[in-house]
Amino acid sequence: MFLVLAAFVVQQFLPAFTGFHHSRILLVQLVFLCAAVTVGQPVMLLLAFICGFLWDAHSTLSPDGGDPAVYTQPVEALRFGYSILLFGAMGFLMQGIQPLFQQGKWQFSALLSGIAIFLYLAAEFLIITFVRGGFVLSQATVLQMAWTSLFTMLFSPVIFWILFKISDLCQHSIHITPDKRRRRNR
Amino acid sequence: MKPFNLIAFLLFLAGAVWALTRSEPTVREIQKAYFSAVSPFLKSGSALETRARTFLDEVRHSKELEAELEVVSGEVGRLRIIETRIRDLEKENAQMRHALEFKKATQFDVVAALVTRRQPTTWWQTAEIDAGQERGIGTQFPVLSNEGLVGKIDWTDKGRSSVLLLTDEKCQVSAKVEGTPEVGILSGQRGQFMGKPLLRLKFLSKNAELRPGQRVFTTGRGGIFQPNILLGTIESVEKGAMDSEALVRPSVNFADLGTVFVVLARES
Repeated sequence: MFLVLAAFVVQQFLPAFTGFHHSRILLVQLVFLCAAVTVGQPVMLLLAFICGFLWDAHSTLSPDGGDPAVYTQPVEALRFGYSILLFGAMGFLMQGIQPLFQQGKWQFSALLSGIAIFLYLAAEFLIITFVRGGFVLSQATVLQMAWTSLFTMLFSPVIFWILFKISDLCQHSIHITPDKRRRRNR
Repeated sequence: MKPFNLIAFLLFLAGAVWALTRSEPTVREIQKAYFSAVSPFLKSGSALETRARTFLDEVRHSKELEAELEVVSGEVGRLRIIETRIRDLEKENAQMRHALEFKKATQFDVVAALVTRRQPTTWWQTAEIDAGQERGIGTQFPVLSNEGLVGKIDWTDKGRSSVLLLTDEKCQVSAKVEGTPEVGILSGQRGQFMGKPLLRLKFLSKNAELRPGQRVFTTGRGGIFQPNILLGTIESVEKGAMDSEALVRPSVNFADLGTVFVVLARES
């Protein structure tokens, strides 16, 4: 929970990479994904709710203003609360490979976090397309999603390292089998 | 599924439905609380971004900036003269309206603000400025630069505001084409954010006679934007079976937004 809230703060300092199709590091999503694979389902769902709720508070747009007689076709934006469901779906995806993570193979989780971020962005794009109509998928949009997923995924080992450190500090096991832990410590 | 997990899942779904069914005012309140909480970090983040951008710009364009500064200084002088003239005309106009027994004479004033962050979210074309409610800014207020219309205020806090840029699909403006009777709705296009994106002017007449280079201005209809603000120039026209659409190159260089002006609608 502390890490999720810290991620929201750090996210404010992370600008878009204008040279890479306005891609960015989605730290909040990454922290959630890494945390989702280390906790049980109820805690994952609680984190999904908190992350989705705060993320929508961060990014939801105001409704269209102006005279409805002039602006007859208002452009819809994403509804507040949709991210909660997307975070939940991503969390379930990550928990699908929890057995591998428990065997100490965190690399699969890191790779899956990149895939999950891409799917998250694709889902957001499809929802926008659905509510606004007219399917327009430009090369720039695909590259933006791909670069964002890649940049975010590259930071996943750091987040896992922080999670391991926090669990050690709290003397809490995040379910790595003893033989793997011994091998890591050696 | 374990009973405890099932209960957690049902609670999660109930929470999601609760969030999805919040009314707009409630969402605004939630956002207000959120931005109040992260405001100190937003300021630091913006300052960091501004410093980094300024440093890079200085390194790359120090000579260009000097030359630009000279041009801008000259332009400021010229604009001051124009502004004085406009103020005189505005005064004269107000007096004439009064003379014509209009109940209210409307005046407009602006607040200058610096762009501190660009595109803080993934999909929306927005920018943040360092002026907010403290300086009389409210939601839906138009934002201009010396090149033309930049967008409108999306949300505002005590000392900060977010601007929904004209390049966003959601920012719609009632527009007219100079020298023609053509009137339509101008907005940004989805997935265009590199360089100078093109805008789309919709709902023009089927046989709209437009030429590339013709200027597009606000009509003043719709209750948000004042009339005769420059939006851009016609790039090309696409004729359809029912109506025509035009692609418009914005007059504002959105990649290089520095100082903007928020128009305060003030009744006198």
